[in-house]
This record gives sequence, structure tokens and C-alpha cells, in this order.
Amino acid sequence: MFRDSAAKTAGRYGALAVVMGFILLPGLWLLVSSLKTNQTIFSSTPSWWIEEPTLDHYSWALGGRGLDMTKLMGNTLIVCGLTALLTAFFACLAGYGLARYQGRGARVAIVGLLIAQMVQGPMIMLPWYQIAMNLQLLDTRTILVLIYQTMTLPAAVWLMSGFFKNVPTELEDAAQVDGAGRFRTLVSVILPLTKPGLVAVGLYAFILAWNDYQYALIMTSSSNTRTVQIGIAQVMESMGAQNWGGILAAGVLAVIPVVVLFALAQRYLIQGLTAGAVKS
Amino acid sequence: MNQTPVPTARPGTRPAPTGRPGPAQPPHPGSVSRPGRIRRWRQKHGFWLLLMSPVLLYLLVAQFYPLFETVRLSTFDHRLTSPDPQRFVGADNYQHLFTEDRNFWRVVRNSFLWVIGSTTLQLVVGTTIALVLNQRLRLRGLWRGLMLIPWVMPVVVVAIIWRWIFDGQHGLANHYLTQIGILDEPIVWLGSEIWVWPVLLLTSTWMGSPFIALMVLAALQGISRDVLEAADVDGTSARQRLMYVTLPMIRPTLFVAGMIAVVLTWFKFEVIWALTNGGPGFATSILPTYVYTQAFQRFDFGMAGAVAATAMLIILIIAGILARLFGRR
Repeated sequence: MFRDSAAKTAGRYGALAVVMGFILLPGLWLLVSSLKTNQTIFSSTPSWWIEEPTLDHYSWALGGRGLDMTKLMGNTLIVCGLTALLTAFFACLAGYGLARYQGRGARVAIVGLLIAQMVQGPMIMLPWYQIAMNLQLLDTRTILVLIYQTMTLPAAVWLMSGFFKNVPTELEDAAQVDGAGRFRTLVSVILPLTKPGLVAVGLYAFILAWNDYQYALIMTSSSNTRTVQIGIAQVMESMGAQNWGGILAAGVLAVIPVVVLFALAQRYLIQGLTAGAVKS
Repeated sequence: MNQTPVPTARPGTRPAPTGRPGPAQPPHPGSVSRPGRIRRWRQKHGFWLLLMSPVLLYLLVAQFYPLFETVRLSTFDHRLTSPDPQRFVGADNYQHLFTEDRNFWRVVRNSFLWVIGSTTLQLVVGTTIALVLNQRLRLRGLWRGLMLIPWVMPVVVVAIIWRWIFDGQHGLANHYLTQIGILDEPIVWLGSEIWVWPVLLLTSTWMGSPFIALMVLAALQGISRDVLEAADVDGTSARQRLMYVTLPMIRPTLFVAGMIAVVLTWFKFEVIWALTNGGPGFATSILPTYVYTQAFQRFDFGMAGAVAATAMLIILIIAGILARLFGRR
């Protein structure tokens, strides 16, 4: 194509700078503030320059005498890991079924997944709480893993079925000619080809579970089950303005795993997520 | 990643089924012996249904049943604080909400303010971001990845960020706004019934627009260069191209993204709860946070069910109207 004038190029990058500033500066301010000493955090002229960088707030956030993020993160890690594994397993089965099934039921299943994706939070909170109470599962990790499946599975199945559709069916036919059963075909022929998809779906579930606030809020209370989000939110309520530094540091710590995992899964997730949205 | 993506293919537009040809259909089903038919049915459907069944059953039990249970609860007097068992009361909870509850209508009004303000801003800002990132830029992939950061952040951390920026005493917002002379004196943003709203809307826009931008970006990349070049040759201005070529072409995507945003925002409990707890007072309470207030602060599950059921009814009506207005044209 033709070349743009310098002014046009400048305009494009100017617009990019504005957009990126809006998106990144708030998070950067969190990071910068968390590294300041208490004196400079509360100075009357906030500055983007860190005079004397300090990790004091981080040691408060991580340590047992402070917020004890180490323990909170341990709790959350167990819950999120289990959630991710379960989601990946069942989304793999159902996604494969959905990708290959040709009967009328497939439409019903797709509409069901779509509705399930919307049916969240306040619409199902009350019965879930009662069920948890009746089964004596309140304040356990089990109930968190169970309820997290409701938010991860619908989109995870959809994503997986997208990945499976990219695998040509000739491979299955070949495997069957070689005498492999259908499960065997799935496990040893198809799955190795969709491994990136499986990993992406697992990471997706992990991130959703890690970020959850509403379900953990109603389901957990004791320090043994509390998740990162609940721990931070509680400290924010109780200490509020007195310990901004510690809260900010905790926020940075809570966001690191998510950003790292998302960077890993980004490519596959974006492919899968936008494919369905644009075709319709 | 709270604004979760949704499978949006409509049943009719599902890509042509790939897969094995399957056994030929018997020309006259009646003429085949029963066991043969069952075997054939199982071959065609059985395995795939078996694979899907755990998830579908789980969604049925874990999401669809609770939906009905919530509606059922709304017709019962069920308070966790009272030792009495549940008692059927018909529409009493609703009647109480609609006529006696002093906060309810305010909460409904807040809900509309929230959903209209928040989704409009998300759509506008999200589309703008997408248009900017769709230009020829170096490192476009990197910018697109960075753009999504607010969207994958935990809502609690997002709340920390914006509470800190809008802190009444030490916040960046007050500092800059007084410096450039827009404000005469600092505002306690989250403590004010009016000023808390801009903060909420800004936060939800910051968090929600990347997802819209992602979808719009994908749609923009689907527009062929030829179309835009043809318009260019015809001597149109950049603004005309945007208004009469680009935007109409991404209209279906905008509609889908808008619908998703409306429904998810309507039921979004977390942003508001993490930021303001619905306060000060009930100034930022919306129906979802009011469900929480009723159920887990007043322990009145029947009333909470009625609030939730009302919220569902209203969003069904809104979605229906929106689909009528913008859906098919």
C-alpha cells in the first residue's frame, strides 16, 4: 500500500499511547506505590519516582504476622489446581463429544452451555449455600472446587470442542482401521494433538478460580479455607486507610500468577474465544 | 477474567458437522429389527452422548436446578435466624419488596443506571481501543496482549487499584484534579452518594472494555482490505469510512458483545461489592448486591430469592426488547 505521512504515523502512535496509558498506568501506580516507604506513600505530592524502594510491605503481606499471603496462596493454589484438573478432564470429554456429535442433541447442548454461562452468581448463590450447609460442606475447599466448575465448564467445553474440530476426522478413521477403540483413539491419537488446547483450558479454569471473589465470599470463613481474594478484601475492610502499603503489596502478589499464566495461555485462548464470537 | 466469554454460535450457524459418515440410515425404520435399531442408534449417538453426559448432567444439577430453587425460595418465608421451618407464603415476599421495602426501588433504579452506564461505556471505549489497535502498528501482538491485563485481573485487586487512586486523602485523582484546577478541594469519592458513581463506572469500564475490544478486534480483522480500499478510492474521508463501512460491518459483533455485556453486568455483584459494599448506605446497591444483603446479612433467604427472581425477570424482558430492536435487521 501507499506510505503514510509522518503526521498520520504520529497520530496512530499518539492514539496508541493514550489507550495504553489508560490501560496500564493504574496498575503501574499500584506497583510503584507498593514499593514506597510509608512516608512517601502518604506524601502530599504523589510521585511516580520511588525515592527509597523498599520491600517492607511485601514482607508484611507474605509473613505470618501480617496478612499471611503464603498461607492464603497455598489454600488458593490447592483449590485452583483441582478446579483446573477437573475442568480440563470433563471439558475434554464433553468437548470431544460436542465436536463430533451430529445428532440433534448437539444444538440442545450448545444452547444449554450458553445459558449455563449466563447463570451465575446471585442467581444460584442461595441454593448452593443451602446445599453446602445441608451436606456440611460449608467452609471447605471441596465446595469451592464444586461451585467453580459451574463457572469454568461451559466456556471450557466450548473451547475444547473448537480445538477438537481442528483435528481431521481421517485420523480417527485410520486409528479405527488399525483396530483402536474409540476411547483409545481419543487418548492416544487425538489428545496428543490437542494438548495445547487442553493446557489453555486448564489455565483458563485456574485463572477464573483464582480471581473468584463472590463464591468464596459466601462459602468460606476460616483461615484454613480462605482464598487470597477473601484475605485481601477482609484486610481492606478492617485496616483500610491505615495500611495502604501492605494492601497494595498484597494486590501485586495476587495478580502476578494470573498475569504469568495468562501470558502462557494467551494465544490459544484468544483464538478459541474469538472464533465463536465472530462467526455467528 | 470475570467477563467470561460465551459460546455465541447460534444453532443455525454451527459449522457443518465434520466426522465420520456413520452407518447409513435404514430407508424404512419399521422394517429393521428392534435390536438392530438400538445398536445403530447407540453407534451413532451413544458414545458422544456418553462423553457429554457428565458435564450436561452437572450443569443441570448445579445451575439449572438452583435457578428454579431460587424462584421457589422466593415464595417461602425462610429466615435462617428463625427456628421455624420454611412456610409457603405465595407472593408475600414480593408484596413486601414492592410496597414496603424502602430501599428496593432505589436499588432497581441503581441497577438500571449501572447496566446502562457501564455497558455503554464499555462498548464505546472497547470499540475505540479496538480501532486504535487495528491500525498498522509495530508490535501489535504485544499491545493486544497488554490490553487484556485489566480483564484478567482479580476483581479485588482492581478494587484496590481504584480505591487507592480515588482515596480521599492520598489519592492520585484528587491530587491531579486539584492541581489542574478542576477541583477546589479534595473529594471523598467513595464516601459520597454522587461521586461514588463515576468511580464505579470508570472501574467497570477499565475492567470490561478489553473483552469488548478483543471481540471487535477479531471482527475488524475479518473486514477485507478491498472494501476499505474501494471506499478510499471513492474519495471518502476517514470518518465516513468509519461510519458507513467499518461500523456497519462489525455491527453483528457489537450486538453480540453488547448483549453479553448487558446480561453479565446486570448480574455483576463483585465489582460493586469489592469497591463499595453497595454503599454509602444503599447508594450503589444493585439487585445482585441486594440479594447478598438480604441473604447473608439479614439471613432472609425468602426475600433474597424474591430479589433474585425479580432481577431475572427484568433482564429477560430487557434482553427480549434488545433482541427485537437490534437483533435482526
